Amino acid sequence: MSRDSNYDHHISIFSPNGRLYQVEYAFKAAASASGLTSVACRGASTCAMVTQKKVPERLIDPSSVSNVYTIIPSIGCLMTGHSPDCKALVSRMRYEANDFQYKYGYPIPVGSLAQRIADIAQVNTQKASFRPLACTAMLVSVDDEKGPSLYKVDPAGHFLPFKATASGAKEQEATNYFEKKVTDLPTYTPDETVRCAIMCLGSVLGSDFRGTEIEVCTVERGGKFKKLTEEETERHLNDIAEMDA
Amino acid sequence: MASSGSGYDLSPTTFSPDGRIFQVEYASKAVASSGTSVGLKVKDGVVLVTEKILTSKMLVPGSSRRVHGLDRHAGCSITGLISDGRQLVNRGREEASNYVDTYGIRSPPVVLCERLSSFAHYFTLHGALRPFGATAMVAAYDEDEKDYSLHMIEPSGQAYKYYGCAAGKGRQGAKTEIEKLDLQALSCEEGLAAAVKVVLQMRDDNKDKPMELEAGWCRDGKYSKVPDGVLKDAEKKGREELEEEEDMDEDEDE
Repeated sequence: MSRDSNYDHHISIFSPNGRLYQVEYAFKAAASASGLTSVACRGASTCAMVTQKKVPERLIDPSSVSNVYTIIPSIGCLMTGHSPDCKALVSRMRYEANDFQYKYGYPIPVGSLAQRIADIAQVNTQKASFRPLACTAMLVSVDDEKGPSLYKVDPAGHFLPFKATASGAKEQEATNYFEKKVTDLPTYTPDETVRCAIMCLGSVLGSDFRGTEIEVCTVERGGKFKKLTEEETERHLNDIAEMDA
Repeated sequence: MASSGSGYDLSPTTFSPDGRIFQVEYASKAVASSGTSVGLKVKDGVVLVTEKILTSKMLVPGSSRRVHGLDRHAGCSITGLISDGRQLVNRGREEASNYVDTYGIRSPPVVLCERLSSFAHYFTLHGALRPFGATAMVAAYDEDEKDYSLHMIEPSGQAYKYYGCAAGKGRQGAKTEIEKLDLQALSCEEGLAAAVKVVLQMRDDNKDKPMELEAGWCRDGKYSKVPDGVLKDAEKKGREELEEEEDMDEDEDE
């Protein structure tokens, strides 16, 4: 479609096919910017998220490399994509969540936060002066009314609740893995949920992990969002290895 | 694969078909053509050394500084377009001062660097603006952790905490040399000598333009410019060591 090439420079312009090329390129940037894959799934009473941890250079202090962020104590988020854009989106999420708490007096439900962030992302696809942020956010929480909740917000401003999802370089393979488990997921205990997420990532990347190579985070009913320590991660990895053996 | 930009590189608000933002990549290229800078976090502080290429013999030594203080406990060095870098320094000073006014304590390094990196990142989002063509290496002391830290903020707004970092022309070679050092065993003076040596090593005095070194360090909980005498001694020592090593290499070849 060579005549489309005149239209994909500007965000607010549709191509003759009705496509927004800049938004599609933003998706590509989000998926390939970091080269990482992240997965998340919902169990009976908890949600788990796992991502690869790659320290870009040996001289970087590993404690400063993380894609896992707490928005408010009950909502956590895993960002995939261009890291400065990720940080900007996290700042905005924290602002929106705290503003909601200030106005309405109770913590923002994760679905409302996802909707708000998605609306903000959509504006960037319509206003020419700003570009879309090249990052995908996966938000988890255990909602008072709805139970374990997992939402994914992408650069186009889509947001949907998921039973399990993935984003990043190997998004498609990870999603296929989860589709086979989708009927069992609602029965999983907290440990099984975490292990399912880790095994999904392991199977799409085709390798076993050490505790330092992945970041695992969970949120439980009534509890805070937390990132697992290396010891806790190693424990799960050992359990998985024993299961296979 | 439009790897040469060709139409997708005119504005920070345009993604290329493979998802790259060329304006941000070009801004990094502006940094990569400037003199080498090195930052090292050592046992008792952080050292920043910059190579200032002298554009004219008439320049007064010590003018047109690259290494600046942001607050009593933090300083930064600029690599790349110096005028762009000045904007980052000014913003850093405002943020640091604003933090003290609001919270009553000196800004933790992580907070100061996140604010500075968000600021740099903002300029990669707007069509009316362009990214900064400068990298800032921030050396600071955290009063609560009682530890020093070194952060590098790049034109894309990306900021990480480093044990050692390099920017500018000789950064690849400099990074290799830095990885060989045992940074936690060095004192600030030793770190200064090592950083100066790395910067000198990346130069070829026959081909490169004349230069002046500039250095700052964060130690004893405070940031300060390295005294001229100390820096000159470190430079002299660095040159002598490099000459010795060259002579040894030549002896081995014979």
